[in-house]
Amino acid sequence: MSAITLTDIRKSYPGGAQVLHGVSMDIQHGEFIVIVGPSGCGKSTLLRLLAGLDPCEQGELVIDGKRANDMPPQDRDIGMIFQNYALYPHMTVLENIAFGLELRKVPKAERLARARAVADTLQLTPYLDRKPGALSGGQRQRVAMGRAMARECSTFLMDEPLSNLDNALRVAMRTEIKDLHRQLGATIIYVTHDQTEALSLADRVAVMKDGHLQQFDTPDVIYDRPANRFVAGFLGAPAMNFVPADCINGWAGPHNVDVGFRPEALTLHRAPVSGPSIAARVALTEMTGATFIVHCESEAGRLSAVVARGDGLPEDGEDIWLSLSPSQALCFDAITGDRLDHFNTAQRQAGAPCAVAPA
Amino acid sequence: MKPENPLLACLALAAGLLFLSPVLYSVWMSFQTTDAYYTGTIDFTLGNYEMAIGQYNFARYLLNSVIVSGLVTVIGLAVATCAAFAFARYTFGGSNLLFGAVVATLMIPSHITLIPNYLTLAKAGLLDTYAGLVLPAISNGFAAFFLRQYIRGIPRALDEAAYMDGASPLKVLRRVIIPLSKPAILSMGLYIFISEWNNYIWPLVAIGKEDLYTLQIGLARLYRVNPGEDIINWPLVMAASTITILPVIVGFVLVERHLIRGMMMGAVK
Ligand SMILES: Nc1ncnc2c1ncn2[C@@H]1O[C@H](COP(=O)(O)OP(=O)(O)O)[C@@H](O)[C@H]1O
Ligand SMILES: [Mg+2]
Repeated sequence: MSAITLTDIRKSYPGGAQVLHGVSMDIQHGEFIVIVGPSGCGKSTLLRLLAGLDPCEQGELVIDGKRANDMPPQDRDIGMIFQNYALYPHMTVLENIAFGLELRKVPKAERLARARAVADTLQLTPYLDRKPGALSGGQRQRVAMGRAMARECSTFLMDEPLSNLDNALRVAMRTEIKDLHRQLGATIIYVTHDQTEALSLADRVAVMKDGHLQQFDTPDVIYDRPANRFVAGFLGAPAMNFVPADCINGWAGPHNVDVGFRPEALTLHRAPVSGPSIAARVALTEMTGATFIVHCESEAGRLSAVVARGDGLPEDGEDIWLSLSPSQALCFDAITGDRLDHFNTAQRQAGAPCAVAPA
Repeated sequence: MKPENPLLACLALAAGLLFLSPVLYSVWMSFQTTDAYYTGTIDFTLGNYEMAIGQYNFARYLLNSVIVSGLVTVIGLAVATCAAFAFARYTFGGSNLLFGAVVATLMIPSHITLIPNYLTLAKAGLLDTYAGLVLPAISNGFAAFFLRQYIRGIPRALDEAAYMDGASPLKVLRRVIIPLSKPAILSMGLYIFISEWNNYIWPLVAIGKEDLYTLQIGLARLYRVNPGEDIINWPLVMAASTITILPVIVGFVLVERHLIRGMMMGAVK
């Protein structure tokens, strides 16, 4: 049985435009799901519907086999970690963590013991008697997690839990959350606008845009076989390059399509090469650590390529040729942006109807 | 605290003394014998207090005032807090209209409701009872308005976190909203208590039995020339006044340090 099933969920706020346009998902027990998308695409709205904080307008929400559209939040066995933590400022860390247990009438000794154990896992023991106002951002974040964990719910919802932390802490907490997921075995639905977090944490990633679910699949599939141009461009850094097929010299695939290729798929040459390639001029190079990103101008627009350090780097302003292997290129419908099945592109006639890739 | 500007500090001191001087003078006067007061000499006595409490039943009036003001404050705060929570957090059919009506009651002078309230309570047989003093005062539009504005400033995410933790709306109110609104509720409580303590017209209209007099009514009766005398006994009046203002000052001192304190630190972010 699935943990959570969403069927054609729609939502608009009173007096506002529609926010969710029919989202369907099927989430298994123990899965780590990351919902990713740009700001304002409806991620928080979706999470609030799952939590029961806002009512679904249309569609069906099933939790553990029971229809949950009208189930109040406290009956859903779901814990939520809010973006701003929403800790109770008048309670100590221990009281914050134990509050949910108190409301569920767990005897005092047991709830304090459980809260202490959770605090211990999260390394909060030295701060048990502090109020949230006297904690750092990272500590507050942990208290927020502890509050949800103490109740031992089967599902956790997290709304951009790391977005208020500095980068080092964010990376550290990311690993910790992944670890916690292994330990707890709970279902986690995690919202972020950060594609790195999405790819690194998720068992499956749901990509959203403007209230539409674009693709819902494993990080590998999302990265290698994005359903459309939006998904392809949103995940992966630096972002995928898109050029019209006609701008590629020696292109044997279909025409009238946009061709997308990741910066890692490009090879730099100092002289014209045979096979598919694009002539470009280096605009600037950027060091990222192990690799360099070379930004170039071409007649098809701005392109970026990733090259390893140590390979002879081109100078700014130098003319170069970027070759790409057709097997790493993805074709997208120039108008709808849907990915076209590229395996048979060579045999297809240009402009022939192409199948849309299965999500 | 160091005064930043000595001139301002002096001005504040002067203003403070100016406001205090009549009070201090009346307290001083309350310890003088009547003869000393009228002859301009100095003669300390506790006799005025003994007279007020013994002969004039001020202990009873004090008790009545404490009971009535206390009940009005406690019940009034409870009603206003619940109303404020509902208006701050829920929208329902006509909720804006209803809130508008609550605010509109602030514009009605209390004397306009005097007669209707009197007739209502007379029909209900509640004149000359504590209930008759308390009931008309417990719905306080200003308190509901003030607390609603305050509660709206509390992040809704805190309510939601409590709901996720398993709280019912009443639990959210009791365990999250009320503790976080404590400064506002206490300020409002003090305000209600003082207004009710100083309420004169309504007890005057609603109470005829001497047993149920509040301090204000008792005090006003002292202004009448007493039988067998042809002057007002001012030291006695001042002793009764001191009995009247003392509980208010004590209440203020008790509550004051809770009034202004940042309770919202660390809630979100
Ligand atoms: N309470 C609300 N009332 C009206 N519109 C809202 C409300 N909450 C969110 N929205 C709108 O819904 C859209 C999606 O918001 P949200 O789900 O918060 O996006 P995300 O979390 O993906 O950034 C936004 O356009 C936002 O303006
Ligand atoms: Mg959001």
